[in-house]
Amino acid sequence: MAREVTLSGCAASAQAVKLARVDVICSYPIRPYTAAMMELAKMVAEGELDAEFIHGEGEHAQLSVVYGASAAGARTFTGSSGVGVTYAMEVYSPISGARLPVQMMIADRALDPPGDFGSEHTDAMSCRDQGWMMGWAETPQEAFDNHLINYRIGEDKRVMLPQFVCQDGYFVSHIPGKVLLPEQAQVDEFLPAYDPGPHVLDPKHPVSHGPQIRPDQGAIMDLQRAEAFLDLPKVIEEAVDSYNRIVGRSYSPFIEEYLTDGADIVFFVQGGHAATARHAVRHLRDQGVKAGLVKLRFVRPFPSRQLSEVLSKFKAVGVVETSTSYGGSMRGGNLLPEVRAALYDAPERPLTTSFMAGLGGDVVPLKDFYWMARILSSAIKAGRVGKTVYWAGLEEVSA
Amino acid sequence: MAHVHEITVWTRGVVKDKEGRDVANAIAKAADAEGKFTQAFDNYVDLPDRVNVPLRKYARISDEDIEMKYDYENEKPEVVVVVDATIVKGIDVLRGMQGDGVLVVNTDRTPEQILQFIPNRELVRTIACVDATSIAGRSTVDFSGTEGGVDSLGIGSGIAAPILGAFAKASPLVKLEALAGVVKNKDALYQGHQSAVVRTLHQES
Amino acid sequence: MFNVPKERAVPFGCVTPAPVGEQPAMITGNWREYRPVLDPTVCNLCLDCVTLCPDACWKLDEAAEMVVWNPKYCKGCLICVNQCTGEALSKAYELDFPDGVVRLEKPF
Repeated sequence: MAREVTLSGCAASAQAVKLARVDVICSYPIRPYTAAMMELAKMVAEGELDAEFIHGEGEHAQLSVVYGASAAGARTFTGSSGVGVTYAMEVYSPISGARLPVQMMIADRALDPPGDFGSEHTDAMSCRDQGWMMGWAETPQEAFDNHLINYRIGEDKRVMLPQFVCQDGYFVSHIPGKVLLPEQAQVDEFLPAYDPGPHVLDPKHPVSHGPQIRPDQGAIMDLQRAEAFLDLPKVIEEAVDSYNRIVGRSYSPFIEEYLTDGADIVFFVQGGHAATARHAVRHLRDQGVKAGLVKLRFVRPFPSRQLSEVLSKFKAVGVVETSTSYGGSMRGGNLLPEVRAALYDAPERPLTTSFMAGLGGDVVPLKDFYWMARILSSAIKAGRVGKTVYWAGLEEVSA
Repeated sequence: MAHVHEITVWTRGVVKDKEGRDVANAIAKAADAEGKFTQAFDNYVDLPDRVNVPLRKYARISDEDIEMKYDYENEKPEVVVVVDATIVKGIDVLRGMQGDGVLVVNTDRTPEQILQFIPNRELVRTIACVDATSIAGRSTVDFSGTEGGVDSLGIGSGIAAPILGAFAKASPLVKLEALAGVVKNKDALYQGHQSAVVRTLHQES
Repeated sequence: MFNVPKERAVPFGCVTPAPVGEQPAMITGNWREYRPVLDPTVCNLCLDCVTLCPDACWKLDEAAEMVVWNPKYCKGCLICVNQCTGEALSKAYELDFPDGVVRLEKPF
């Protein structure tokens, strides 16, 4: 039966990859994701995991190696953090365009300059246009589950897309939490062996990858992937439903609502800070503030329809931005523009604003959530938001 | 939210990194077995460790779910464990202690000799000194549990065991028997408990 | 518009002045468990300690005609003790010395 252990996010990810019976792993060290590769190396060395473990010469090499391995029919795993993620940038689009379900773990780290090990989502978010799936885990348990769920979704014949499986560096990757590990048999039932399909690299049936095309064919290349992303939400729902049933979880596929019944204000959070937000919401409710939490599990595909329905129930939504988009339309982060776009056509739109918090690995304490709640409540009274972006801990606001 | 007891362990990089981590992990595991809510983790910015650099490991114990899971440091340690005694010269190990604190030091010196290097000793109520090195005979050097990894060797086969015995003698936070359930070298644990020199420092009110 | 607390401030572009000679923001003397002790009557001024110290903690004081130790940065690696050609250096336990108490707030 399921076994409960205390694991950090990195160790939980390694356990998931092992249970997924991955074939090829390509490693390269960078804090804070490295421990996942350390764990996998130990498993391979001790015979617990039968996989090819290759040490790349850099992150670009990591992605190139798993590209080739996946094209040859292997279930692959790689990972990185911070500037390692951006170093491999060239290879992301080729992998998604070739429709190879490579999986990459990203334990977030702020981008240079300078060296800041703390978590910031900008590293992964910078890559969200590359045609990969992308989503965050709140806890080591969710990180574990997300790896398995993403393999199943990515390898589905209707999808065939690579996946970024993300977790906050340090907060989730290093701080241990309780993880319920399923049995190998349960994982095998949920996740069948990878079937690469007819385009696999095979000397008996030679294929070429990525020949030159004319400009008038480019849009068609893009359309292929766009269509896959249209089919994707249905596959995600099926996969999460199947996982819940087989392994015994209760995940909602795209967004999770917490104490949102009758809520006036909600925090919209992606990643580890949702754990603190939950406590903040409970305390706010105790004080008579009708607060709730909406947690985002997938940013690609962005669940526009679901968010439009759910967020319309509330009067004010505070998006907690843990990534930056300098010069972007909201002059803040990446999530608020996407949230506002999803809400644009909704008949009833809440007030929306964003809070830059947790950047660079900053802790978002309970009092910051209370500060956000005051701003959101004031906005409801005033009938409008004061501005689209507030920097938590760095500005006084007469709320 | 219930009070969170903070235990800070000071140790030295690489050569005593695992031992320091063992102390924090054993305290958390033992408290967990007693039904408490716990955390144990390395100080993130002290790592990656270099040989002999002073480093911190943390354990936290509470009767309820710990809400602020992500705080990088223990701001108000109730117990400070010093795995290598020379650290008392190099670091203000009692910083943040609120008074009535517990200090546990791995040393063959007396508490008085150690306290000579600690000008803010009025923050300490109980000091325990144990010569863990001569009891356990060795420090285990291993990288397996570092940076969020999983320890492969088990907790408390080296100097951490007698240090934990001294800790249980000086602090009521975790019982000796709970630690015995977690630690590999139980003989060293009990020996540390027995031989630890514990002084209660009188404080003017 | 923004209040950046002094302790959180970073310089423009995160470009900092580089230290010349010593780096007072990174005291490493608190890394050592043992320190080298010099017997100047035995020292033959081969200057191997000056050459070999990874932290440049031995310097030749030309006026005194003797090598001088910098306790602020010595990490106690004991390379000098092990390599001293004149056997003028021996190691001693740091707690035996009342000096050298830096009591930093954090490791760096």
